[in-house]
Amino acid sequence: MDRNFSQDLLLAIERADRAGANAVISAWAEGRDFKRVVPELLSPVLETFGTIWATGQGGVSLATGYVASKIAEDVLSRLLREAGASGEAVPGKGPVVLGNVEDDFHPLGRKMVVAFLRADGWDVRDLGVDVSAGQFVDTAEETGARVIGASAMMYTTAKNVAKIRHEIDRRGLTGRLQLAAGGAVFKLRPELLTDFGVDGTAASAVEASPLFQELWQRATSLDIHVGGPRP
Amino acid sequence: MNSLERVLAALQNQPADRPAFLLNASLYGSRLTGADLNDHYTRAEVYAEGQMAIRETFCPDLLLSPFFVSAIGEAFGSTWRARAHQAPNVRTFAARSAEEALKLPLPDVDCHPRLLYLRETIRILSKAYAGEVPIIGVLVSPSDIPPLVIGLEAWLDALLFQPDVAQALLDRLTPFFVDLGKAMLGDGATGLALTANLANGYIVTDAVAETLTLPTLRMALAELPGPVILHHGGCPLGDQLARFKGLPNLVAYVLNVAEDLGAARRVLGPGPVVMGNLNGPGLIDLRPDEIQALCELAFTQRGDDRQFILATCSADIQLDTPPECLAAITEAVCRAGGAEA
Repeated sequence: MDRNFSQDLLLAIERADRAGANAVISAWAEGRDFKRVVPELLSPVLETFGTIWATGQGGVSLATGYVASKIAEDVLSRLLREAGASGEAVPGKGPVVLGNVEDDFHPLGRKMVVAFLRADGWDVRDLGVDVSAGQFVDTAEETGARVIGASAMMYTTAKNVAKIRHEIDRRGLTGRLQLAAGGAVFKLRPELLTDFGVDGTAASAVEASPLFQELWQRATSLDIHVGGPRP
Repeated sequence: MNSLERVLAALQNQPADRPAFLLNASLYGSRLTGADLNDHYTRAEVYAEGQMAIRETFCPDLLLSPFFVSAIGEAFGSTWRARAHQAPNVRTFAARSAEEALKLPLPDVDCHPRLLYLRETIRILSKAYAGEVPIIGVLVSPSDIPPLVIGLEAWLDALLFQPDVAQALLDRLTPFFVDLGKAMLGDGATGLALTANLANGYIVTDAVAETLTLPTLRMALAELPGPVILHHGGCPLGDQLARFKGLPNLVAYVLNVAEDLGAARRVLGPGPVVMGNLNGPGLIDLRPDEIQALCELAFTQRGDDRQFILATCSADIQLDTPPECLAAITEAVCRAGGAEA
């Protein structure tokens, strides 16, 4: 009987069993091209896991989500190793810019988002903690990023997301540079997303990649109307 | 009744003239005194003056030592950053991993200047309000110290992937925690308040909690010669209460914002005090009449439960919160007791 790798991987992630998850992935890769692991195994499983996490039905702890991000990092490392060995480039999406907003020093959630995005092929420019609105938008302009992801844990720092919105609008980038935000405070008070002019959020770190995909498409669709992509 | 009698009545399931209440106004004291925040968080007499102003203005039934857990990180060698409108936060960590943290010297609770600052606030307040207002010493449980010393990510790495190292660090930190708790109680604290986030199922896996952090917490609490309040620490606590119920010296539980007080009582049974469930940082966005309505909702939820203390939860009450918002809580409490505010 064929092994159900997706189910086995999901169970390992839910048990926060990093070694077990990597064993499932290695078993899947026997006789297969490892480059296909993300679209064919990891992404669909993480999508299911993200739904369970977001709905709060499976009792998923922060630590379990953290282990899932480590598994994603393990896959990415192996992909990069194998791509390096063969001289191939890993296919890329983006770039996108991530950071904790000004005065926020709680990096864990952001790092998990970075891991999931990179595992799904995104070129992430991670600016770290305590990032000013100007730094976010400067980096986006310098790299051609079309999405900024801002992380904040508490209400007092979440207010700085509004400064990024202001900076985007002030520079005339409204719509063409999308603003995503996430963090504990936005789960507790989702109305803040509207108050601060956020373009999108995800219920869990795992769901960041489809969100960024949607925001990227929204940003680039405006290029058609204004005469093509910016230089 | 004075505040101490009111709080004791709640602990002993006795009638009181009105419900007791707590404001997490550690930061807010500086608004009333006009003190510079750096002075507020480094000079004990300045901080204590802020709590006295809170007491004189709003009459809460418990006062707090600084809600400044970065100070504990600093005692191990971490650095913190003062901020314009908030309590300080850790800026750099003393070590990069649990293994490195094992090599750090344990701070001496009788010598480190920042720990002495925390303790001195308790001495000043307990002297000023002896026999009148309970003073609560704020600290964190042994398993919540490493995030202040090595960061949450490195601590999760140890708890999840190096359990032996994590256990060794917990064993090393527990005597420090006990020393600090004993010192605070010796300084005059009526009780202690602490978080145990790394034993909460919203943060760690059941395996981590059951094999590492909860057994350590049980052992550490048993060493403390005084009552302890468990604070939700930003996580939901209501559906985790069964996990913490019955731990030594735990006499009260502070629930998270809007968590159901009646449901908590059903889990805990008679005995412990249930505290909550007003959103402290969110008061700034509400009108006084809206705050009074939330207080009344909390009183409705508690029903005839005498072992209830109305409390702001989550983080500090924000500095820019209008005083009328806090006065609304005082008024609601007095109205509930049938007394004039």
